[in-house]
Amino acid sequence: MRAGAALFGLVVVAGLVGLVQVAIGAGFIDEYTVPRPMEIAAALPRLVREEHVASRFLVSAAETFAAGALATVVGTALGAALFRWPLLRRSFEPWAAVLAAAPLVLAYPLFLVLFGRSSVTVVVIAFVSALPPVVLQTVSGFSSVRPVLLAVGRSFGLGRRSEFRHVLLPAALPSVFTGLRLALMFGLINVIGVEFLINLGGLGALINDLSERYDLPGTWAAIGFVVLVSVTFFVLLDGGERWLRQRG
Amino acid sequence: MAAATGIGRSTWGLASGPGTAGPRLAAALLLGGGWQALAMSGLLFQDVMPPLQVLAGGLGAVVLDGGFWANAAVTGAELFLALLIGGVAGAAVGLLLGVSAFMSAAFERWITWLGPTPKIILFPVLILLCGVGPGSKVAMGAVSCFFPMVLSTAAAVRGVDPVLLRVARSFRCGPWQTVLKIYLPSTVAPLLNGVRLGFGLALIGVLLAETKLSNQGIGFAVMQAYARFDMPRMYGLLILVVGFAAAVNIALGHGTRLAAGVAAGRDR
Amino acid sequence: MLSVKGVSKRFGTASDGVTAVDDVSFDIRPGEFVSVIGPSGCGKSTLFNIIAGLQAATSGQVIVEGTAVRGPHAAVGTVFQEESCFPWRTVVDNVAFPLELSGMGKAERHERARHFIDLVGLRGFERRMPSELSGGMRQRVCIARTLAGQPRLLLMDEPFAALDEQTRLLLGDKVLQIQQQLRQTTLLITHSITEAVQLSDRVLVMTYRPGRFKRLVPIELPRPRTADAVTSPEFGAAVASLWADLREEASRGMQDAGG
Repeated sequence: MRAGAALFGLVVVAGLVGLVQVAIGAGFIDEYTVPRPMEIAAALPRLVREEHVASRFLVSAAETFAAGALATVVGTALGAALFRWPLLRRSFEPWAAVLAAAPLVLAYPLFLVLFGRSSVTVVVIAFVSALPPVVLQTVSGFSSVRPVLLAVGRSFGLGRRSEFRHVLLPAALPSVFTGLRLALMFGLINVIGVEFLINLGGLGALINDLSERYDLPGTWAAIGFVVLVSVTFFVLLDGGERWLRQRG
Repeated sequence: MAAATGIGRSTWGLASGPGTAGPRLAAALLLGGGWQALAMSGLLFQDVMPPLQVLAGGLGAVVLDGGFWANAAVTGAELFLALLIGGVAGAAVGLLLGVSAFMSAAFERWITWLGPTPKIILFPVLILLCGVGPGSKVAMGAVSCFFPMVLSTAAAVRGVDPVLLRVARSFRCGPWQTVLKIYLPSTVAPLLNGVRLGFGLALIGVLLAETKLSNQGIGFAVMQAYARFDMPRMYGLLILVVGFAAAVNIALGHGTRLAAGVAAGRDR
Repeated sequence: MLSVKGVSKRFGTASDGVTAVDDVSFDIRPGEFVSVIGPSGCGKSTLFNIIAGLQAATSGQVIVEGTAVRGPHAAVGTVFQEESCFPWRTVVDNVAFPLELSGMGKAERHERARHFIDLVGLRGFERRMPSELSGGMRQRVCIARTLAGQPRLLLMDEPFAALDEQTRLLLGDKVLQIQQQLRQTTLLITHSITEAVQLSDRVLVMTYRPGRFKRLVPIELPRPRTADAVTSPEFGAAVASLWADLREEASRGMQDAGG
């Protein structure tokens, strides 16, 4: 049934696209607002040829991994520190929660001033946005280690450091991987978003460029391409995390 | 864009309750002190990282400026409409996906995949469809909060205890009664959490759209301050926005916990 | 080798708190198997935690092999009620854990661990992960892990509580065999009378809250005991006598709970 349903979904989506194509041809939808899907598809190879899509992709990817790696390392360390010292946790965890919910990316003009118009700014903004969720996730992961496992450690006379090494860390490792996934997710979203907003760098800037040139099929094609990249990235991340969890 | 993943605050068991107010305040003072030290040290341009008193002045100037409130009203209205449209549409679709396993198997994966993609890149298309005025901002916000709303609602509907539904059938409840007396109370908590997520994303969507192309609203005000290099004003606006987002988040968080507590049968 | 002297545990303030354990004293001789039974909520687990060094007593002392217990004692091994295998380690790595802590080399500790894995009847499962095992098997791994540390006193807190009846009986048999083979001094907390009679040399009956020591019953059944011993008239008499004690406490417990 599931395969049938999935097929059904695919058919419906394809059908809608086909409907749009027909509606534009018949004049129901203005072709200067929504280009024909076939035109959009045709624009894609042109983009790849003329707009250095490959190098732009690499720029966005590099910025994403830089921001994600930094957020994971710093975030996990901070989260572990908050867990280790409950006073710190009571003091700073609520602020981390505030920051995680806050539209930090809105401060991008501020970062532009601080760091100038460069990839550094993009990476910094993505890093700052990804950091609070990673911290919260790490703290949560350490806190949800089953108490009986800690009791086992203590019953064998483990001190704090040994307890961390032998029990806490291995038990919380799946959460740390979740933190890495979060960092990369927020990293990508913010990198592309900021690139678009300040028109600098990789794939986000590509969309901005094309829209300012009023290249309608190109804009739609670029958006579609970025969405495809994004979806692929997240599907891979999800699968990767699941695979790692299964390995224990 | 920090709330894009569908992780609710309630899943991060935050330390709260008595005994945390003091440390939180201490932390705030510590951070404030650190900021002041950095600002006064001259390591960074005074303009770029102003001392606290300059920030306070900027905040004051913003609040006392009539123009700010006009902008806030515009953004507020856009946000409200975005939440209404995106929220209702999201809840409707989520309801459909929640009750029908077939629909869920057919379409939910599309929503899940598209959910985390950066919605701001759709803005040029939305401008074409909805014009350069508030319409495109509302559309941006609505699109942003649509996806988490769908997923939260679907999960909430699926999460209703099947035992309760069997009880309803055994009492021969009609469909409308079942919705009102079983589904609604059971889903209030996860729905509120979905609204919390959606709110954050809608706010980001509306504000970023305003920074990109607008002549009113808070996002526009931030860009104005940037263009004039009026840093205290920019900081003031950012602090207000973050404060507003935090306040709504906390309120909705309390609401979620209350609803969850009632649903779990604890008396509050 | 274990001496519990006047141990009490009180939670809360002097005026408005709960006494979980009230002035309990008893001794255990080397090689003995003693069970503690009592109704739910009588403080047996609190007593267990105190002897295991995981909780401090409000008053009184616990002495193991002449030294007072101030934290987990090196000569004491504990098996918890909850299943507690390290899910990220294989069976052999779980069982070899205490040996690893004492610095033993990998080959040697795996060899030693295999002996204990055999003892609990899990030969062949060394390389498996706990997630691949049933609840009963995982609990056996925990027992093997504790035994690998060669504790002079083995403490077990209702280790079979989470298992179904049949698994319980089989594991009970296993524990009996092990105890007889190793002459392991053991203190078992349980709420199952049959289990207590089957396995123990003596049974301590605790009262309902506050948990006091009500009776100490010697079990005179001959050793080695087999599964057939369960059907003997002496067994039935011992169970009946303990049930008479326990019933009184259990119904007080039910009344308290409003039942």
